[in-house]
Amino acid sequence: MSASLSEALQKLANYRSKNSRESLRVFELGAPLLSNDKWMKQKGDGADSYTWLEQLALAAIDVGRTGVADKCIEILSAKFPESPRVDCLAGIYIEATESPEAALRYYQNLLEKDESNAAAWKRQISALRHLGKLDVAVDELSKFLDTYYTDLEGWLELADIYSTCGRYDHALESLQHAMLLAPQNPFYVLQAAETGYTLGDLPLAIKFFMTVVDMTTSDEEEKAGDSVPDGITLRAWFGVKQCTRGLLQDVRGTAYSNTKSRVSPPTAAHLALLDELSTERLLTAYSTSTSSTAKGICGRDALVRWLEGK
Amino acid sequence: MGGSQVSLYLDPQIRDWVLFPITLVMILVGILRHYVVLLLQSPPKKMPRPAIREQRALLRSQILRETSTNSPVPPEYYKSISQELSKAFEAGTYLKDGPPKGDTPSRPPNPLTDPNAMDGMMSGMKTQAVMMVPQMVLMGWINFFFQGFVLIKLPFPLTLGFKSMLQRGIETPDMDVRWVSSLSWYFLNFFGLNGLYRLILGNDNSADGSRDMMMSPYSGPAQTPAQPQDYNKLFKAERDNLELAEALYNWNGKDVELRILRRYGKLST
Repeated sequence: MSASLSEALQKLANYRSKNSRESLRVFELGAPLLSNDKWMKQKGDGADSYTWLEQLALAAIDVGRTGVADKCIEILSAKFPESPRVDCLAGIYIEATESPEAALRYYQNLLEKDESNAAAWKRQISALRHLGKLDVAVDELSKFLDTYYTDLEGWLELADIYSTCGRYDHALESLQHAMLLAPQNPFYVLQAAETGYTLGDLPLAIKFFMTVVDMTTSDEEEKAGDSVPDGITLRAWFGVKQCTRGLLQDVRGTAYSNTKSRVSPPTAAHLALLDELSTERLLTAYSTSTSSTAKGICGRDALVRWLEGK
Repeated sequence: MGGSQVSLYLDPQIRDWVLFPITLVMILVGILRHYVVLLLQSPPKKMPRPAIREQRALLRSQILRETSTNSPVPPEYYKSISQELSKAFEAGTYLKDGPPKGDTPSRPPNPLTDPNAMDGMMSGMKTQAVMMVPQMVLMGWINFFFQGFVLIKLPFPLTLGFKSMLQRGIETPDMDVRWVSSLSWYFLNFFGLNGLYRLILGNDNSADGSRDMMMSPYSGPAQTPAQPQDYNKLFKAERDNLELAEALYNWNGKDVELRILRRYGKLST
């Protein structure tokens, strides 16, 4: 019995270290541990014997078993009174069970007690966003990021809020900061590229799309040119194609001279080559059966139609 | 070394009533000290938002500078971020008390007037006191009751150099170095019990007094991490770094199309 329990604990720790959500699995593993009174009493008192409670509480809220979450939070707040981390967890519980206004009030109370509680501040901002008070949320988030500049999630959230309001220029600015904070992550570059594209700044967008391709492929494997683009690279190639198409149509380049980024597009000769290359790459992706599944080939007709339909 | 041949006979009572009590008392005092220090420890001081902002402002420009030679950010954005920061540093926007007034000369803040710095110093001194007082009492106790006692004989021979270490408090030139005096036994315990504390209390215990003995609260910057910094000066210095980074700036998307085209053999290298 105890062997399976410690095994479950081990698995939970594994989920934690991988940072995967898997709420249902976590709940199934954790709930028996929590209801096993005898085991709960005799287990150790180390820091490790409480982290899984937090994990279980979050998972229980995720799957809607708030009773279990309540029990976890009770144990945790008895053990760590005044801990900002547990306070935050309790706040998430309130968000799940009560009205967003109540959660907002709760977070505001927390922040009045200790205005440097970054976690509570972030949750307050997300509660504000849920309530639809976007202006206040953006205001608070800007203040938050002014204080905690290194919060990557915050910058992405800000970009997201701006995008939903159609303020793509501001979203792009937020994404610049996200890229500065995580220069190694191609997904943020892709997001910036697509934001730039939506904004209509094609020269900037094509540069970013190409940067994504540059980041996700390496010289050695591409020299032969026979590798098959997939995932984020494929998406970036679609972007490149879309941009070259737009840029080639607008030969004089008048449409982009007044964009904020003032990036000059590649020369016409390079554009033509890029257009050709992206077409080639896309066709490769959709004609080899080795790429992910046979679905790749199914989409080929649609792709060819899209490539031809100028 | 003629005297070393003469064997001394130690009363077993000395072992039972002096050697063991001293050792035991020292261990107990160490453990007690550990828990008292735990009680005295105040939670880390909560900082108001402007102070956090001030502390972290430098980080912004450091992050920007870090990648400037191969920056992910296009030139216009880079310039605007860099110049905004530079302006803010110049104007002192990030200072916790707001931009400085023009007429007050900038001087390093006095640590005695800043309550936050005082707190840090007080807690350090409290810990020091918890360490010093019991050790002084213990040493006084040993000096008063057991002065000149010979407690044990080490089971191995030693050179004459160890005499001052092992026979403190006994002024005999001729006695064998293997005999240990009470005061020396105290010092041996004082420096040697750390291993035992680690076994009993875990790795990061505060029972060992010899560590704090080495550093007094006034002996250098290592002991006072709450040393107040003149952020205004730091910000001014950071502006130069920003300018330098801006000169070195290069966007990694600048000729990415050439890299891509070459990679796929569309352009000859």
